[in-house]
Amino acid sequence: MTFGALSAWAAWSFAAAAAALAAWLFMRRLRPPRLLIASLLIWQRVLDAPRALTLWERIRRAVSLILTAAIAAALALAIARPAPRSAAPSAARGRVLIVLDSSWSMRTLTRSGESRWKRAVAQARRTVAAESDNPVAIATTADGLIEGPTTDTTRLDAALDRAAPAGGDPAAWPALAGSGAVHFITDGAVQRRLPPGVVVHSVFEAAANAGITAFDVRPSAVPANAADAYLEVGNFGPAPQTVHVVVLRGGAAVYDRRIAMAAGESLRQVLPLARGGDAALHARVEAAGNALDIDDDAFAWMARSRPVRVTVVGQQTAWLRPLLAGDPDLAPTFTDPARYGMAVDDRAARPPAPDLIIFDRWAPSAPPDTAAIYVAPPAETPWLAPPGPRGPERAWDATTEPRPRWETTLDHPVVRGVDPLTFKIEAARPYGGEGLTPLARSERGTPLVYVSETGTRRLVLLTFGPDESNLASAPGFPILMGNAVEWLVRPDARPSQPPGLALFTPTTGQVTDPTGKPVPLARVPGAALAILRLPGLYVAEAGGARSTVAVNVADPQVSNTARTTLGRGDQARPVTAGASEQAWWIYLAAAAFLLVFGEWWTWLRRVTV
Amino acid sequence: MALRFEDDFLKKLEYLRVVSKRAFAGQNRADRLTPKRGRGLEFADHRPYAPGDDFRHIDWKAYKRLNRLLLRLFDEERDLPIYLMVDASRSMAEPAKFDLARRIAAALCYIGLAHLDRLTIVPFGRTLRPESSPGRGKGRIFRVFETLERLEAAGPTNLRQAFKDFASRPRQIGLTVIISDFLDPGGFEAGLKILRTLGHDVLVVHIASAHDREAGAFGEVQFVDAETGDLRAVEITPRLAAAYQAAWQAHATQLEHFCGRYGIGYVRADAEQPFEDVILKAFRQGRFLA
Repeated sequence: MTFGALSAWAAWSFAAAAAALAAWLFMRRLRPPRLLIASLLIWQRVLDAPRALTLWERIRRAVSLILTAAIAAALALAIARPAPRSAAPSAARGRVLIVLDSSWSMRTLTRSGESRWKRAVAQARRTVAAESDNPVAIATTADGLIEGPTTDTTRLDAALDRAAPAGGDPAAWPALAGSGAVHFITDGAVQRRLPPGVVVHSVFEAAANAGITAFDVRPSAVPANAADAYLEVGNFGPAPQTVHVVVLRGGAAVYDRRIAMAAGESLRQVLPLARGGDAALHARVEAAGNALDIDDDAFAWMARSRPVRVTVVGQQTAWLRPLLAGDPDLAPTFTDPARYGMAVDDRAARPPAPDLIIFDRWAPSAPPDTAAIYVAPPAETPWLAPPGPRGPERAWDATTEPRPRWETTLDHPVVRGVDPLTFKIEAARPYGGEGLTPLARSERGTPLVYVSETGTRRLVLLTFGPDESNLASAPGFPILMGNAVEWLVRPDARPSQPPGLALFTPTTGQVTDPTGKPVPLARVPGAALAILRLPGLYVAEAGGARSTVAVNVADPQVSNTARTTLGRGDQARPVTAGASEQAWWIYLAAAAFLLVFGEWWTWLRRVTV
Repeated sequence: MALRFEDDFLKKLEYLRVVSKRAFAGQNRADRLTPKRGRGLEFADHRPYAPGDDFRHIDWKAYKRLNRLLLRLFDEERDLPIYLMVDASRSMAEPAKFDLARRIAAALCYIGLAHLDRLTIVPFGRTLRPESSPGRGKGRIFRVFETLERLEAAGPTNLRQAFKDFASRPRQIGLTVIISDFLDPGGFEAGLKILRTLGHDVLVVHIASAHDREAGAFGEVQFVDAETGDLRAVEITPRLAAAYQAAWQAHATQLEHFCGRYGIGYVRADAEQPFEDVILKAFRQGRFLA
């Protein structure tokens, strides 16, 4: 036995001292209460009469004394937090690494009502107690090293209290230099390649579960629908059961069925989603045999639930109308440059703010905060002037490149998939301005497509217009425009992702979790990183646009709680359920309480003294 | 404690009278028959006239018939001397017991005085305490109450010495009621025998309370004798408590059997019993009140 709060000799000494103190107090006896009676006459007759003591009367005082000492010793030992010495003490002396599998499947409940994780933590504590003479480090598969190496069991206990299942990369494995022994406590739900010599403690116990193994929204192949939701639900129990599946769009149920599912059966369902309405989708399953909760809810975001509001500003925008009108995801309005920026007094008549503005051969004197596409803006636009001294218009003309050939293209979402050979450009000219990054250039280096991205604004700029090119008819132009719209309006649109590390555009200003709290962002060159820990809808704000990211577990490996990847050899040290799972101090405290209760109960009945 | 009774109860008491198994010759005329022939109203017998007899009692009708002088004799009706001996030792200090003893004494006094008996209250402990002067008539009842109210339980018990003192003074033989818990280390037998030997009709009223009958506590206690102050440490177990109860019961049974053997009346009065039940049931069932 080992002790968490004291060294072994100190704990045993403490218990012995407590028992001795209790025994001394018992023997010392307080002066018995005095009772005035009419006469001792009768008592003398009783006490003077020869009386044979029963065995119990002879020993009951000793029994009471032993009980009192046992109560004191049990309480003292409970304070010392005892733990059984691990069944597999490390033979090696040196650093000890305890790795807890923090994949989501560790939240699975066992038959005793506690989770696999709780069992793992209990096993970790026992291992810590067993290795109390060695520096011990605690790590989880999701977060890596979280404490140690240290011999301070209080710190290790605190670290175990803090840790929780958090998914993580199945390939990730924490390393501790110079570790003499590595204990891995896992349920084996996720396949891992372990380094040699790792002692595996299995907390696996087969459990029935029903969970969502896939849920996402994808564009619909049917033009009438905006998108299709794909839902996959599995029954991983050993027996058939009825699974209640509900899909909510906003607050309205678009799917609500109770499905009798055979053991191991999967349900795959495609749900058509109409345009308009709420973009948030929430799927939920309920079943009697459902040991894991994290896969019961899944979320998706239907980015195309509402058409993108596009305002086209220009004097001759007719060439854009067929392109924009043909896309059901866009809602274009056309306006004259003279009317651009005019305030509308009537609040009711004021149109909703556009998601995107396309400036056709015209540009405002100051760039708007809204995402915008500029098609061959005038050369005299002050904030787009090329670097260098300003000159007469002729100077601009001097920089114009006749018949440029689209030669080099950077890898960027805006120009991804655009065939440059379909463009026949008569002239293109360079622009300047803060943050403009050329994506495509001619062979002479004249930029053809610019992008600019700041924390509050994004823009795409074409250096040639329909007057100087076949832009209106080029097959690559719709692709270029589609890419530009997507990049500008939905900068972080992506399929749902598992909990864990997520990359956002570098200009991302804030990411908020499903409860509205900001998620800490780590900025690295070219990206902003955030850890999205729990399933739900996260909102990222970047470049004046908001993107919603759905995070789901949706992993059959996690949901299938009835199987493990651990072989028989790996389960050589299974962590069993039951008494050994609880901390021993609880049992000692309970035993002390029972002894006190027994002593009190028998004292009331004058069985003990 | 104020010894006052409800009017209804007093009316009930007036219908009762103290019963003595034997007839005693009292001092004053009253309504109890005595063995003496005297100047009563009821004719009892004739006897031959002797010189000196009151010739007013000569039965002239008998002389005419029998030609002999016969004297008419009448039953003498006198009062009954009643001695109420109240144990005022420290063992009676428990309020419930002492109050019951005094209330019983007061009730018997009232009954006796109502029937013109001569009542004497004789408190005792180790010896006799100052006793009240004998008296008759209901008018004395308030003095009797005051006497009983002033009584204090103090000192040890010595029944033998107290009864010996009682016997040593010249008294008319009568009914002696002893109200006591009879917890005397010296025993009760010798004292009662003295009274019996004197020729008194003796009635024992055994006062008891739950504190006397039961062990009263469990575990380790130190008993203090109320009379002597002696200490005795006892670890009371259920078995010991049962043994105590049995011993007390044996004590009470022993007293009752002793009284039965010597023709002494015995009434047990428990402090927990309603007082009216003690008087109207226990005493009447024992034929000590009629």
